[in-house]
Amino acid sequence: MKNILIITWFTLREAMARKVIIFFAGLSIVTLLITFAIIAVTDLNTLLQVQNQTNDPQIFKEIVSSIQLMIVNPLSGLCLLLAIFASSSFVPVMLEKGNIDLLLSKPVSRSQLLWGKYFGGVLVVFLNILFLVAGVWLIISFKFNYWNISFLYSVVIITFTFAVLYSLIVLCGILTKGSMLGMMLSYFIFLILSPLLLVFKEKIYMLIDNNIVKTVIDVIYYIVPKTAELLSKINVDLALGKPVSDFQPVITSFLFLVACMMSSIWLFNNKDF
Amino acid sequence: MNAIETNSLTKIYSSSFGKKKITALNDFTISIPPGTIFGLLGPNGAGKTTLIKLLLGITFPNAGNSKILGKEVSDYKIKSRIGYLPENHKYPPYLSGKQVLEFFGKLSGMQGFELNRRIDEMLDLVKLEKWKKIKVKAYSKGMMQRLGLAQAMINNPDVLFLDEPTDGVDPIGRKEIRDILMNLKEMGKTIFLNSHLLSEVELVTDRVGILNKGKLIREGKVSELTERKQEYRIRVEGKLPQTITENLLAGQSITVLSDGAYSLKLNDLNELNSFIDQLRNNHIIITEVLPLKNTLEEMFISLIYESDKESVQ
Repeated sequence: MKNILIITWFTLREAMARKVIIFFAGLSIVTLLITFAIIAVTDLNTLLQVQNQTNDPQIFKEIVSSIQLMIVNPLSGLCLLLAIFASSSFVPVMLEKGNIDLLLSKPVSRSQLLWGKYFGGVLVVFLNILFLVAGVWLIISFKFNYWNISFLYSVVIITFTFAVLYSLIVLCGILTKGSMLGMMLSYFIFLILSPLLLVFKEKIYMLIDNNIVKTVIDVIYYIVPKTAELLSKINVDLALGKPVSDFQPVITSFLFLVACMMSSIWLFNNKDF
Repeated sequence: MNAIETNSLTKIYSSSFGKKKITALNDFTISIPPGTIFGLLGPNGAGKTTLIKLLLGITFPNAGNSKILGKEVSDYKIKSRIGYLPENHKYPPYLSGKQVLEFFGKLSGMQGFELNRRIDEMLDLVKLEKWKKIKVKAYSKGMMQRLGLAQAMINNPDVLFLDEPTDGVDPIGRKEIRDILMNLKEMGKTIFLNSHLLSEVELVTDRVGILNKGKLIREGKVSELTERKQEYRIRVEGKLPQTITENLLAGQSITVLSDGAYSLKLNDLNELNSFIDQLRNNHIIITEVLPLKNTLEEMFISLIYESDKESVQ
């Protein structure tokens, strides 16, 4: 465990040295300043009128939470795009000649090395998302005097979504010793495949009457991590304080993560350097 | 218990589709006792680095096994007693010299006061104490090499693997590294040295192994390997009389060396003594009698040449 923590800590330093964290933090600070400026000039009366008209505090809460999500959701997508780009080279750099030889000559198991790199990458994204989400949450909560703790679940869901994609990046890094394949596959899943499968499953699936096509879609749907559902449905439900209606996207995405990491460890344990 | 032990270690590299196979190491067996400085010599591609990588568990063998300090190398915990300086090592450029040692020290299981004390000690030893807070990207090749040596010794290892340790180091730095190695030997450490600089290997090693095309073609003490059998250098006042040079027996020969001394080839030690008696009876003053030796380089080149010739045949 100690070795994993050392590698994790030094991966964080690597991210800082490569200005990944500073870039993220800069982006978050700009976002928070814009949020602060917009919220500062927002007239509360309109919202309060809605509250008075309906006399329902729940609607007021939902409006506030929606404002928070309106800011965080697109930004978290952008953050994930940047995070994939920034973290994709952590493993390939570790595998470079002269670097990996030294690491493997130390009393550290190969799986500890890999987990350390993995947690390091996830920790970088977690800290950035925490800063952004907590900042938006604080500004809006102060302004409207409504402290929606559930909104902070976004930190967990966005980090989890990244953790799933990062496991694929790690696997591709081990396989190719490069960052390109992992990055391309992650972008493909995040931007195209997952949203497309969600639309297929919800809108088009019922219109298909061919069982083979349905089975193929089902197989792909359950294998591919459900980043679109995690960020849209589950994140929104949790942020609004609603119970999660379906945990299947979380479970199948987690299984994808486990499969990628186990494959990575097996490959790494048997690879010559 | 030997410090390093290998038994029929074999490594075969395959191309991507497994069609072409290259034997990097072939049936390599060796035992190195503790407290030895062992030099491994060989031309480029002979398998020297592959052997170190196998011994450190960086690469896996196709056959055979190896032990370090009595433990199988697959047991990664034994590496807390090992130090390694790879050829072309890379350190994170954003770390300072001190941070590099801190990172690898921590990975080797050190911490706290003990680690800090050891870092200062090592930086002082390799003369980088003034550079400890400077990022390594500003270091010269020689400084990186010295930092690498400090890194390899940070955990006070019992066995040290050094792959081209003096690469890029100036002559004074090389002398300092040699002194460090001799000091480590006195402390009972085992050092496994890969180097192209044969003159340097000759100066520090107790034993050497010659590797060619993955095979160990010779192993032994430097003095044994470089010795020319029954060949002596003899110097006298003036010149040897013709009667002596003409009366040589079968198997004996005498040649004049460039510096005026004579090279004498005999069949055994008795013949040397008889020859000296003969000179003394002729009232010739002998000023020098020395057994002739090859340099390590001469021995190395001739062995590799012979080995290549045999493999062609």
